[in-house]
Amino acid sequence: MDGLKVYADSTQFIVIAMGDEYFGIDINLIDNIVKMQHITRVPNVAPYIKGVINLRGEVLPVMSLRLKMGLEEDVFSKSTRIIIIRLEHQGMVGFIVDEVKEVLTLENAAIEKVGYDSKEVREGFVYAVGNYGESLVSLLDMNTVALEKE
Amino acid sequence: MDVGQYIEIFINETKEHLQSLNTQILELEQDPENMDTINEIFRAAHTLKGMAGTMGYKKMQTLTHDTENVFSEVRNGHIKVTASMIDVLFQCLDALEEYLANIQNSGDEGENDNEHLIRALNDILENKSEDAGEASQTPADAAGEEASVGEKKWGEIPLAESELHVMREAVKQGKNLVGITVHVQESCILKAARAFLVFKSLEELGEIIVSNPPVQDIEDEKFEFDFSLILVTEAEAEEAVKAAAGVSEIESVQGEIISLPEAGDRTEEATEDLAEGCGEEQKQAEEEPAVQEVRTEKEAAPAMPAAPAAPAAKENKPAETKKGKPVVNRTVRVDIEKLDVLMNLVSELIIAKNSLVSATNAEEASITAVNEQIEYLESVTTNLHESVMKVRMVPIESVVNKFPRMIRDLQKQLGKKMELYMSGEETELDRTVVDEIGDPLMHLLRNSADHGLESAEVRRERGKSEVGSIFLNAFQEGNNVVIEVSDDGNGIDVDAVRAKAIDRGTITEEQASMMSEKEIIDLLFLPSFSTAKVVSDVSGRGVGLDVVRSKIQSLSGEVEVKSRLGEGSTWTIRLPLTLAIIQALMVEVGGEKYAISLGAIQTIEDISPDDIKLVESKEVIHLRGSVIPLVRLNEVLDIASTRAPEDNLVAVIVKKGDKLAGLIIDNLMGQQEIVIKSLGKYVNKNKEISGATILGDGEVALILDTNALL
Repeated sequence: MDGLKVYADSTQFIVIAMGDEYFGIDINLIDNIVKMQHITRVPNVAPYIKGVINLRGEVLPVMSLRLKMGLEEDVFSKSTRIIIIRLEHQGMVGFIVDEVKEVLTLENAAIEKVGYDSKEVREGFVYAVGNYGESLVSLLDMNTVALEKE
Repeated sequence: MDVGQYIEIFINETKEHLQSLNTQILELEQDPENMDTINEIFRAAHTLKGMAGTMGYKKMQTLTHDTENVFSEVRNGHIKVTASMIDVLFQCLDALEEYLANIQNSGDEGENDNEHLIRALNDILENKSEDAGEASQTPADAAGEEASVGEKKWGEIPLAESELHVMREAVKQGKNLVGITVHVQESCILKAARAFLVFKSLEELGEIIVSNPPVQDIEDEKFEFDFSLILVTEAEAEEAVKAAAGVSEIESVQGEIISLPEAGDRTEEATEDLAEGCGEEQKQAEEEPAVQEVRTEKEAAPAMPAAPAAPAAKENKPAETKKGKPVVNRTVRVDIEKLDVLMNLVSELIIAKNSLVSATNAEEASITAVNEQIEYLESVTTNLHESVMKVRMVPIESVVNKFPRMIRDLQKQLGKKMELYMSGEETELDRTVVDEIGDPLMHLLRNSADHGLESAEVRRERGKSEVGSIFLNAFQEGNNVVIEVSDDGNGIDVDAVRAKAIDRGTITEEQASMMSEKEIIDLLFLPSFSTAKVVSDVSGRGVGLDVVRSKIQSLSGEVEVKSRLGEGSTWTIRLPLTLAIIQALMVEVGGEKYAISLGAIQTIEDISPDDIKLVESKEVIHLRGSVIPLVRLNEVLDIASTRAPEDNLVAVIVKKGDKLAGLIIDNLMGQQEIVIKSLGKYVNKNKEISGATILGDGEVALILDTNALL
């Protein structure tokens, strides 16, 4: 039963693919992952807010992670998912992602904190980087990502 | 025993009693001689004292006890109700409310002894004894000072000079002095409560002059299994014994008429013996006239069926267990009939579900049979919704009842004469709304009292009655409840508001000249806007009206004001009946579904594009004599209309107060009952959307806020 062991010195992440980049989201923040569904558009809001969906009888907002990070508009495909994140102050919010890969366990020692380039749109979104097979995975600070910028 | 589970009941009932005291004392002020009112007050105070005692709130109990004493004197005609006394009484009520608030917040009554109030109350009592020499009794607690502990019989009751005096007076008046010793069953859990009941039944016969242990100790349950007292009554001893023995869990009662002890002599001598025909207990008493050593008599006598232990006990202070936490949930008191209706509907719902199941399981599931059942289900759920809504509804009475008292206080504070007239207190609103509406209403009333009404001199000059009138009317209008606060005062000085706004830089002079009177008056609702020249305690800090408006808006309501200079102003608050579920019209705009609250809709019109006129480059239509501006929803919602421009348009005419507007939509979908869901963060800044709802197919539809669109 090794798989169920909790390693205090490691953290689990959900790895998502956006284009050809990989991002990791702390699994503890994730409430649910749902398939793409009808999103009700809300008029006159920021472009990255795609609208609202019905999740088990509750209405919650859905954002495009692509637009939020300054990438081009989403193209919905079979692998598009909405990741429902539970945030401390903002409640639940959904993020549209291209694809959900797998759960990745990273030793805390293997997580490398990064300073960020303040010129980037995604300022502060990525707080650390870890190894993911042959490539790297950027770990997202969801509270910052979900923050509304004027 | 933990009293925690009773604290809610205690708080609710105490609130009711305090409210009733407030109302009654106000009445008393108008009509100081009204015996009914005085009795009512006495009863309420008495009950309050009992409840506080049972729950172990000593300070509250002491204060109510002294209040009760004052009323006891008033009731007996020994003191007259005076203005200063009313003031003290109101202060006492305030103090009691404070205790209650403390209890509600932390489970503890707090540290404030309110000694000054107790002193004031006792002063009232003492003045009486100077004024009315022939007063035949002294407040029972006076005995407390003198009492010693450990004696068992009425003969052992230590008597103070004042009590002896009272007793002598009573005998002179031909009244009987009855000594009574009561033994409580050892199994009795609530000795204090039983004792309280004994006192209560005896007080119906006469006055209890003194008791041993003192009243205070008995109420605190500081006694073994018996207590003694001396009663001044016109009734016979046996009658008193019977009354006391009528209480459950009382083992035995002994009592007989006693003679007056010599002044200074602290022992009792039983002289007159009227025991003939008295009960078993009576004889028992005869046999041991003044024997001090005999302790409790365990008689088999009047076996009263021992009532199940009353719920509340007082061993534990709730404070010890619940300190620091709010102890009360928000509750609604529900009429049992409403619950019965609910229960019936739920049964029907189950039947409907079962029929539906069997209709679909039938060999050849016929679509008509299923449809029939669905219709049935529909009617049941509609009724169910209505009933649940009714359960949540409470009359606004609980909120507005405190206002007469507030106006009375304001009258003194402001030195103006005014009268509050209320109507429609029985109007019902959702509990959540009722809880919130108190403060805004209070603001408006204070506003009327302070800014609205002129001083008596000015009113006289203007040919008005010196006493200003403030009106509070509530009534239901369609899906809304309207609450109006009006006064016959000065009204709003539009010019003063305009000048002030310009002065403060809120608007420019140019803007001001363009604005209608109504728009100028609306400026009053802006934060930190006050026209009062002097900031008073009552209002004029400029925090009032904007708070009023935002509070009411948060309740999905609106507030308007109409005013005529010199004649007064009327503030109108309009609130939805309930917040959670509404009847809505579903419409389609650019292929998207939106809901519009049915309450806001006036009519639905089919209009030809030719009927649209332009006024100030805005689209309007003429409809039955009025000019109505049009709002193209597809533009507001930023989406392309699915209708060809030459087609006829569908306009939903909505109203907000007196204002009308036509919302142009693409298609009507029909009426539906919708459950309002909040939009949550990120999207709630949207003015034109007030919320969302989930449709039958699981899709989310947005609810349009017509108020914002107007």
